[in-house]
Amino acid sequence: MEEKNVLKGNFETKKKVILEENPQDNLTNSQQIAKDLKETVLQALGGSMVYVERTNLSWDGNSDKKGE
Amino acid sequence: MVKILFINPVIREEDNPKHIPYGIALLAAIAINDGHQVQVYDANAWRKGDEVLEQVCAADDWDIIAIGGLTTAFGYIKKACKIVRRINPQTFILAGGGFLTSMPREIMDWMPEIDLGVVGEAFVTFPVVLRMFDEHKLIKIPLDFQKTLGIIYRKSNGTPVLNGVRPNIPNLDALPWPAWELFPLDIYFANSKLLFSEESFTSKRRLDVNGSLGCNLICRYCWHLGTTGDMVIEENEDGINDVRFTYGRNIRYHSPDYIVNMVQYLRDTYDIDFISFIDENMMTMDAYSKRTWIFDLCEAWIAAGLQPTCRSKGIPHDDSCKGVHWGGTSHATLHRKESLEHMFKAGCSQLVYGLESFDRDILKTLGKGSTREKNINSVAICQSAGINPIPNIIIGFPEETFESIRNTITALLELGIHAKPHFATAYPGSEWYYDYKDSIIEQYKGNLEAYIADLGDATKITATISHRFSAMELLGLQKIVELRDLRLLELTQIHWNEADQFMKPLATPKTSFNMVKKKIQAPLAKVVG
Repeated sequence: MEEKNVLKGNFETKKKVILEENPQDNLTNSQQIAKDLKETVLQALGGSMVYVERTNLSWDGNSDKKGE
Repeated sequence: MVKILFINPVIREEDNPKHIPYGIALLAAIAINDGHQVQVYDANAWRKGDEVLEQVCAADDWDIIAIGGLTTAFGYIKKACKIVRRINPQTFILAGGGFLTSMPREIMDWMPEIDLGVVGEAFVTFPVVLRMFDEHKLIKIPLDFQKTLGIIYRKSNGTPVLNGVRPNIPNLDALPWPAWELFPLDIYFANSKLLFSEESFTSKRRLDVNGSLGCNLICRYCWHLGTTGDMVIEENEDGINDVRFTYGRNIRYHSPDYIVNMVQYLRDTYDIDFISFIDENMMTMDAYSKRTWIFDLCEAWIAAGLQPTCRSKGIPHDDSCKGVHWGGTSHATLHRKESLEHMFKAGCSQLVYGLESFDRDILKTLGKGSTREKNINSVAICQSAGINPIPNIIIGFPEETFESIRNTITALLELGIHAKPHFATAYPGSEWYYDYKDSIIEQYKGNLEAYIADLGDATKITATISHRFSAMELLGLQKIVELRDLRLLELTQIHWNEADQFMKPLATPKTSFNMVKKKIQAPLAKVVG
């Protein structure tokens, strides 16, 4: 893999800042499809076109019981 | 020599990085020419997060870390300055650009990490500050900024002091070319395509050029921030210096030879196929030069062999086309058919027109000098020259009404324009900002800084300045304009008309020290340096 120094200039810095491998740069095929889907859906939100984030959301329904 | 790190802030995270920061690239070139050690970290291009920024800050013993940009970059700049100060407690932090110039006193209050700000045009001020640093390092002269024009600095107790205005340079050709080589060009070239015309859509290597500084018009939503001779610095009612923006103008443009030589170099060095002129308004320059600048620029472009083959041979553009296409900015009242035809011949493929509205009354209030008829005709005139017009549309003007929205939709339908309009937004430095500052602060519950931070997302509705419509109504009207649906507009009007008697305006204008609605011209320097 080609090393990329994020700094550019007219002299050598004491330390180089070489980019570490970013998981985003090496997505599996299914991860890439999921990423592409999200980007495309967000650009076309409207009507039945919605997007739900895949977060660890959990809800036990308790909050509604207060009003009962 | 001074060891400088420039940081280009992340801007518009929702979009890919498309434009090398022209000002930073110029200042980097100026610093290098003066013998300083320069590094650039282009955070906007890399989009790599805070950890990489921390590594960059720790990569050397920086004398100065310089950061700047427009108000839309405020959020990142604020965050970055905190990181810079944590990693580099002793490094001098220097800021500049529109975000600081539009409100230097507030920015210095909100961002205590900034040691010094360059206010207005930096082409002379920045190297002057670097020379002072050099002398300070070499012969231990104490840093004393009391007499340095164009800066805001801190006294030993941290209190900011704004000095007098720095005269604009008279000759833009005295500037070096931007230091493109210090930026990750591969990232920018990967985002070369612009959805403005077939030629820009098929561009593989596009770069920007700024041919001029200034614009004669006084559009209420526009800002210039000292680069057009519009800014003076005077004592306010509290007896302290503050910025005042005016209708004053110093119109300046590069010679056609300067521009064409630069584009030739870019083609020979980077194989570019498209140039975006990021000038405020190229047609102002055409009019100001008595209709010579555009003509001479096009002639020089063709003479230098930059004319695309599709234009020289009179054939449709396709992938086999050689040469450099370009696009820029125009104006419905200032453009001329002859100029446009010449521009097409030289390779111009698109022109952005800030038409904003097709309502007579709204246009009269904008300071653009355009009319409904001129706006309508401009589309046809531009198209007849072979150039793709890109009209910008806005809703939510202070005097916006259902009738003015209807007039805009009707024109969009007649002209075949599809547009999702922007919302009228009071950016700092614009006349609107100072007129409606109190209303904006009220809408943000007293927190002006929260408003400034919100301006980073161009798609967002922030503070409304419409006297009639709330944010809720404007969001709906934006959709109706996008759909060009006059039936929905009529239904909405019938519904809201009944509620009108209970409505009170959210935004009301007032006068401000920071905006002088007169032609007070800032000075031009006699010599550069």
